Amino acid sequence: MTEPLIHTSKGNLPVSECEHYIEWDDREDTVTFSEWYVHGGETVRKDVHVYAKQGQCAEAFQPTI
Amino acid sequence: MANTQAVCNSFKTDLLNGLHAFGTSVVRAGTAADTFYAALYLASGSLGAGTTAYSATSEVSGTGYTAGGIAVTNATAPANASNVSYWTPSASLSWTGVTLSTAFDTVLLYNFTAAGKNAVAVYTFGSQTVTAGNFTLTMPANASGTALLRIA
Repeated sequence: MTEPLIHTSKGNLPVSECEHYIEWDDREDTVTFSEWYVHGGETVRKDVHVYAKQGQCAEAFQPTI
Repeated sequence: MANTQAVCNSFKTDLLNGLHAFGTSVVRAGTAADTFYAALYLASGSLGAGTTAYSATSEVSGTGYTAGGIAVTNATAPANASNVSYWTPSASLSWTGVTLSTAFDTVLLYNFTAAGKNAVAVYTFGSQTVTAGNFTLTMPANASGTALLRIA
């Protein structure tokens, strides 16, 4: 079997040689999922995915005349 | 029936389509939709409602990132529902194979076609860094209550 590799800042490394971490951050407007790999105490790869729950709204106020 | 005062829904959508000009207008190159870009900014920046145009000041930099950001996919025309006109990019914003070592938390949407690279909106998220990886910003549902850009 060929050992799975992952592309990192140190080139392609065997996944099994890296520590893998994930984190979820659920906020009012966004949900963020991040995962990172550590090799020799150094973060060698980190991906971040942000889901925007909602955008920005400009309100057209209509004063009474 | 009775008359009611209101900012017309059609006007809100017309604003998104560039139809009205209460002030000095601009000469447009054509009738096609403008191209919009998204650029990332450092958490130490000061973008907000006062931002008027794209600027490289406090923009992120790093391997795989091109200054100015990326083009936004715009395949869906503005719409109106529930008295809200709205628009959302039709694809996620995605930077692949980048290393952004300094914390960033903001994306600026701006008009790339306009000569002044005029700002549209500023969006923030939790402060991030990326290492030899991907950064993806998935768009909200394109609906009156959630769309990325709304005029109510």
